[in-house]
Order: sequence, then C-alpha cells, then structure tokens
Amino acid sequence: MAETVAPAKPHSPPDLVWVGLSLARKEDERLVRGLGKFVDDRDLPGMLHMAVGRCPFPHARIRGINVTAALRMPGVEGVLLGADVVSRTSPIPVLRPLPDARVPPYRAMASDVARFEGEPVVSVVASDRAVAEDAIGDIEIDWDPLPAVVDAEQALEPDAPVLHPELGTNLVAANSRAAGDVEAALSAAELVISDHIRINRVTGLPMEGRAVIARYTRGVGTLDVWSSTQLPHLVRWQLARVLGISESKIRVVASDVGGAFGLKLGLYPEEVLACLHSMDSGRPVKWVEDRLEHFRMTTHAREAVHRIEIGATRDGSISGMRDVYVVDAGAYNSPFGSPMLSSLMFTGPYRVEDAFVERRVALTNKVPVGAYRGYGQPESNFVRETLIDRLARTLAIDPVEFRRRNLLRPEELPWKTPGGAVYDSGDYGAALERALALVGADAVRERQRDLRERGRRIGLGVACFVEMTGYPGSAFLGKHGAAFGAHESVTIRMNREGGCDLYTAVSHFGQSTETSFAQVAASTLGVHPDRVVVHSGDTGSAPHNTGSFASRTTVAGTGAVLAAAGQVREKALRVAAHLLGRDAATLEIVDGIVRDTEDPDVGLPLADVATAAITGHRLPPDDSPGLESTAYFDPPANTFGYGTAAAVVEVDPRSGEFTVERFVLVHDCGTEINPMIVKGQIQGGLAQGFGAAMFEELVYDPDSGQLMTGTMVDYLMPTAADLPLFEVDHTEVPSPVTPLGVRGVGEAGTIPVAATVANAICDALWPLPVAFRRLPLTPERVWRAIREAEQGPRAGAPQSNEGAVT
Amino acid sequence: MAEHLNVLVRVNGRDYSRSVPARLSLADFLRHELGLYGTHVGCEQGVCGMCTILLDGQPVKSCLLLAAQVEGHEVTTVEALNQSEELHPLQRAFTEAHALQCGFCTPGFLMTAFALADWNPAPSQAELREELAGVLCRCTGYQNILEAVDGWLRSVGRPTLRDGGGDG
Repeated sequence: MAETVAPAKPHSPPDLVWVGLSLARKEDERLVRGLGKFVDDRDLPGMLHMAVGRCPFPHARIRGINVTAALRMPGVEGVLLGADVVSRTSPIPVLRPLPDARVPPYRAMASDVARFEGEPVVSVVASDRAVAEDAIGDIEIDWDPLPAVVDAEQALEPDAPVLHPELGTNLVAANSRAAGDVEAALSAAELVISDHIRINRVTGLPMEGRAVIARYTRGVGTLDVWSSTQLPHLVRWQLARVLGISESKIRVVASDVGGAFGLKLGLYPEEVLACLHSMDSGRPVKWVEDRLEHFRMTTHAREAVHRIEIGATRDGSISGMRDVYVVDAGAYNSPFGSPMLSSLMFTGPYRVEDAFVERRVALTNKVPVGAYRGYGQPESNFVRETLIDRLARTLAIDPVEFRRRNLLRPEELPWKTPGGAVYDSGDYGAALERALALVGADAVRERQRDLRERGRRIGLGVACFVEMTGYPGSAFLGKHGAAFGAHESVTIRMNREGGCDLYTAVSHFGQSTETSFAQVAASTLGVHPDRVVVHSGDTGSAPHNTGSFASRTTVAGTGAVLAAAGQVREKALRVAAHLLGRDAATLEIVDGIVRDTEDPDVGLPLADVATAAITGHRLPPDDSPGLESTAYFDPPANTFGYGTAAAVVEVDPRSGEFTVERFVLVHDCGTEINPMIVKGQIQGGLAQGFGAAMFEELVYDPDSGQLMTGTMVDYLMPTAADLPLFEVDHTEVPSPVTPLGVRGVGEAGTIPVAATVANAICDALWPLPVAFRRLPLTPERVWRAIREAEQGPRAGAPQSNEGAVT
Repeated sequence: MAEHLNVLVRVNGRDYSRSVPARLSLADFLRHELGLYGTHVGCEQGVCGMCTILLDGQPVKSCLLLAAQVEGHEVTTVEALNQSEELHPLQRAFTEAHALQCGFCTPGFLMTAFALADWNPAPSQAELREELAGVLCRCTGYQNILEAVDGWLRSVGRPTLRDGGGDG
C-alpha cells in the first residue's frame, strides 16, 4: 500500500497503560471466522417466517384487501391487516421530537391510506419464507391511487396534496435559531453570495439489512426479541409502549449487527408486526428484510434544499450568514426524524456572530428519513464550504487564506455558535495547516501551473469542519423532549480468576466498542485486556443506557467504564488491604497482582482478592460480598471533533470527468483510546462521504412518484475500485469535557468530502466561475456546471446543474 | 408446494446428501440447511458479494445459484478456514490490518482473496482494487482490506485451507 502518515503520538493519562495502543480487536475473534451471531444466524425450533405486503404507489387509498387465497395456501399460519394492527397497537414513539411540532402518528401498518412506496399494508406468517412471500403475491389489493408529492419545496406549495389531512399542511415544523443582527450584517457586507443548493437523498446501506426474531411465550407472557438495532433498551421501551405490555416482560438482544450508521435507531414497523404474529401463533417469528424492502422502508437521509447567503467584508471577514433550508422528511416522523445539526453547526469553525438559520420540515410521499452518519453536518458543510470558496475567489483572496482569517482561534473557545452549539476546545487552524502540509499545497500549486501550460487541469480543494459528538447532558435532552439521556452505563463484574465480565447495552455494529471499553477497563483494573470479556447489546443483562449513535459511545461509554472499573478497583484494594494487613492507599494492581508499592515482597494475586470478595469468606468488617459495580457517566457537555480535508483533483473540462488524485484528512478527536480503530472510523466515514458526494442518490420520479434507484444495481455505493487512497492524520487536543479527553470520531469522515472535492474541481477550472448546486458530483453534473458557467447567468433561468445521477 | 430434488454436494471436504426444494438458493441451503451461517446474504441479486463462496475453487455468489445446481460439485465456505484454534493466516491478516468493522462482509472478502491467490497472486494495486470490487463493504472504506489481502498474498505461495502458509 502507498504511504500514509502515521498518527501523532497519542496522549493518555499516565496510569492507563492500555489506552492509546492499537490493539487488535476482540470482536474479530468471532467475526473473522464467520462466527458472528447476526439475527438471521438463528433458526429457532418451530419458527415461522414473515413476509410483508407493501404499497406500490407513493400515495394510495386501500379500498379492499382479499386474503382468502393466501390463507388457503398450505403452510400459511396467519395474516395481519392494517385494521388489526391499528386496534392492537399504539403509534411508534418518536425518540427525538421535532420542537414545536404536531407529528402524524407512525403506525406499524397502514389501515386506510398508505403514504409511501414500501409502506406495509399486510403481513403473512408461514412455515418458510418462500411460502410467506408466495402468499403475499396471492393477496389481492384494490388500490385507489391518490395525488402524490415527492419534492419537499413543492410539498409546501398551497396546492400540494396534504399527506395527513388532520395536520392541514405538510409543514410539520419550522425551527429557527439566530444570533446578532443578520439583516444589518448582510446589508453592511461588501459582498454577499447567495445560492439555492439541493442535497441528495441517500441511505446508509448497511450490508446487513434489518432483521428481527420475536418469540412470545404464551402463558408466561414473555417476549424475547432479537433485533438488528443500535438501541436495545430504547427498542424494548418502544415495544412495551406500542404493544401495551410490561417492559419487564420484554428482552431485546442485538448481538452482532451488520452495519447500522444511524439507520437502525429505534423501532420499525416490522418488529411490531413480528411480535404480533408471535403473540397470535405462540411460535417464534423471523423477518429478514430483503434489499428491495431496505431501499423502500429503512430510513433515508440528507435530502434538503438550502437557500444560503454569506456576506463578507472586502478584506475577507465573514460578516453574516443566513441559511433557510427545507428538509424532506418523507411520509412520517421516524423515531429520530430529520436532522437539526444542519442548524446547530451551520456556521462551522468560523467566527460568525450575526447569523440566522431556519429548518423547515416538509412531509412528502417518500420513505421517512432518519439519522445517517453525519446527520445534517455533511449537508451544511457542503453549502457553507463551497460558498466560502466562491466568496474568497470573488474577493480575490486565496480560499485557504480566507479560512485562516475566519477560523476560531484556540483562545476564543469555548464558543457558542449562532445555531446554539458550544464548542469545547480545539485548534482548528492547526488542523488546516497540517492538512496543507500533508497535501503539499505549495508543490500542488507549482504542479498546477506546469500542467496548465500543457493543457491539463488539476485543482486543490479544502474544507474545514467541526463535528458535534455526544450530547450536552441528559437534563438538556430532557428539556428538549428527547426520550433518552446522554449517558452510558456499564456493569463490571469480577470473577474468581481475577478477570471480569463487562456488560454494556451498546450493540456491536462495527464501532469496536468491545475493544476500546476493554482497554479502559483493563487499564483501570490492572489486568490484561484479554481478561476483560465484553457482553454487548442484551437488555437482559446490561444496565440501562442510551445507545450507540451521534459519535457518543466512546465519549460517554468510556466515562462509565472508568467509573465502574474505578469502583471495583477501590473495593479490590480494600479487600486486599484487609487480607494483607496493609493500608489500601499503598496498594496497586499490576498485571493481575495486588502489591504494596512500599514493599515489593508483599502482594497477592487479584484472583485471590476476587475470590475472597465473591465468596464473602474473608471481607473487611463493614464490607458486603461481591466485586462488581454498575456506573453511569453523563457527559456534562458536548465534545466537538474537528478537522480539515484537502483534495487534489484532475478534471477534463470537455467531458466533466474527474479523478481524485489525493485525499487528505487531518482530524482531532482528542485522546485516542485505540488509534487503529480511530483511523478505521475515519476511513469508513470518508468512503460513505465519497459515496454521497460522487455516486449515490435515491431518485424519485417526479411524475410517478416511484423510487428509480431502489436496488444495489441502480444505487451506486462505492466499491474498492472507486475510491482514492485516504491519507489520514491527527492532531490531538484533549477535550476538557470528558475524563479521558476523548472527543467523538464516528461521523467525521462523512462531513467534508463533497465540499472538498467540489472546491478542488472549481479550483481546477478557475477562472471559470463553476458552481455546484446539486449532489452527487457526477461527470454529467460537472459538465453541466461548466456549460452553465461558460454561458453566464441567464435571466429567469435558474442554474441548477440538473442531470441524472447515473 | 415446491418440488424437491436430491442433491449430493461436498462442502468444506464433507459430503452432504439432502432433499431440497428446487427453488432453494445455495446461500440459503448452506445457512439454513447445513448451519454454515458464515456465508452471509446481503442483496440476493448478485451485487453485494456477501454470499461469495468457492465453487470448485472459483469464487461465486451463492445467492445466484440454486442448491440443486451444485450436485456433484465442491463448495468451500469461510468455515473451511476454521480448522484449528489458531486463525488462518488470511484471517490473521484481516485482524492485524483492521480490515473489518461490523464483519458482515468479511467472509465474502476472505473467499475472494483466497481464490485470488490462485489466479492472480501478485496483483498491482489497481488490479487488486478491481479484483475485490465484487464484494462491497460499507464500514472500512476498503483501504485496510486491500492492505490485508496485499500483505497476505505477498506472504504466501499457493494457499491451503489448513494453514495457508508457504508449504503449499
């Protein structure tokens, strides 16, 4: 492989010996052998298989459903219709409500009107999946197609079909944030650039779709649910609410999850349906989403239309920023719904004091949107960072220099953004300079001049970002109506061998939590990480938590591990002091041995201490048996990762084809628990960033309302052959907010890619004033943008880079 | 109901004789009839490559084959690499390079890489990217997968399932 720059020397508190090391992952032991336990890897005795019939129209009334033929098929064991489902369940609770909004109920099945292509309208269970699918095929549905709207701005026009008549409108929320006086600031600015930019609808496309097994035990009343989810505890709570049964009766297990990226955040209709079928039949029921269903049911993301204005002074200071954007929410408010981070983070790492941002959430006849890695931040990054380049160029200032003048300096932090975020700490300029050094900006400029003389066009693009990671405390979320907290929790239980079991409800879906948690626990307990066995994703054993999303697992989770392990360690030392007749304050645990720091000959194995505590045989007078602890950590504030990306791109102006020759990302996530894992997270995020920037778009036909790119053949996620080499480097400014100085990292890579590549293309073509108003950046769109720039603005003809995705 | 057919197939060196529905895919047969869950299913239309297995040594997508079609053939799945307590060197290369995150795609890459050692053991970087483009990964960005396969290919001659080492 070509060279990449090694991570900077990691910072770690001196005692935490396993923190900062690139240990191989504990998860790999099973996964690399193909021995993971994904939901579909379980076949339970007597299990039935569910198939779901879905609405083929974007909007249609169900006049009638005839299930007679299906029920007669051998092997069919049950059918559910919308009316049954509505009468037996409550709507799926929203986890992160829209402020000041009345949201339409999201039911597990449509009973009367279906509002997007893919919405469940009937389900069948049968002896095997093929029979269940055959039965769905034999169900006759009498449809009355209704007018549909699949464009968010059109959905807000007065004559648009209203999806939920009880709301009277498709606008479910309009939430604004402001600081200073943006009107005055923009009027006083010497240059204002405004534009109308559409962000593409994409999806996270985990390689494992969703899947569920529900097993209701009649008489006992227990409901065991294996779900491919990021939120076992919250799904359990949602299921209890939807089904009206006690949470105590429900156990949700997410053992191995084959990718999630925000799409598996909370309860989906099919999980409810599988539970109902299991309650009806008394048998386990499995449903495994197929890929066509995935594209038509699992949450989509990102789609928005931004009207953004940025003003600057002649010497290149940002005067003000205004962004009014419409988010296309799809037909219902999914548990997480549309992103707010495009508002909180829209001013990025810059010193902007006069600003206004408004999110308008529009319902359309499309798949509901939800969270997807980045969750609003890649969108606002693209509109802001591309406009900043255009501002700088118009002012004849180097875009890099323009950024230097406006980046917040370390001493200006903490900084409250106009959107309401409070940046904790960081050196944004240092990340920019490091990225420039790594890409060799001066040499690129020289090469650019040489190649231009020979008729070739290369360009250098840069984009800066701040990534919100975690949440500012549980009480904050409570005030804003969230159904969850900001905390994480773990239980650590020592065994008689001096090892321990660590229980976390964070499910495994690639974040490597088992390894990073073990590194922190092992460091605190003075044992080898191999002695820490992590059990994840089971509500039957793990304490209440929040779940893995928002780049918060390591931020909140390692705090909980540190606290729980610290309490276990403290008790172990107390018991050891009793056994040894020494003062606990002089004892330490190293490599599984408790020893006296003042007398190296005095010590005993941690296993003996644990045995004394677990059996209760030899305890200090006032201590109780056991050697375990459950601890919670609630981060007091957000942490913010940040960084700069730089790209070198060659463009062929005749065809619009372009090649990303270099892509550099310098990122800061504070203390790195495991640098190998951090780098992997960055690389993975970048690949998804490239997908959304260059290849992927969920296209709905404006006339028929049909999803046109709803298979893996049509929706082009990047393959190994489609991506450049990622050159990743880090700066390391520990966060003051978390005990270990950790900032989150999971989403960073997705944020700056589209802007960086677009800026590089524009740089290659300058002085032609090319502007991108659509994503992804396909060669055709680049070609159209070049033609538009060559022709100049035409009155009454908005420039839009229209063009197909493929 | 679907018609059944008899199939005799050798999987990971062991012979199986089963009566299977004519429409049962090979992937579903391996997973739900033989309990070899390491072969994953991602799209059921031959695009994602999760279900890649070796059929007589060639990598194929087992969602596009019917179980009945492999009568008399030899199938190799990721479980064939699990011959001992120790990881196979190819598996070790993956864990050392951090070439997996969620791990769902990993068996498909392992099978593809294993076959690659036979027909193109010294690919250029561009060739390697093309060779591995038949399996998708949404977590890693591929870079570490390329590194793992590249490193392993350089370390082996002709691979064997038992140890993949230089003795084959």
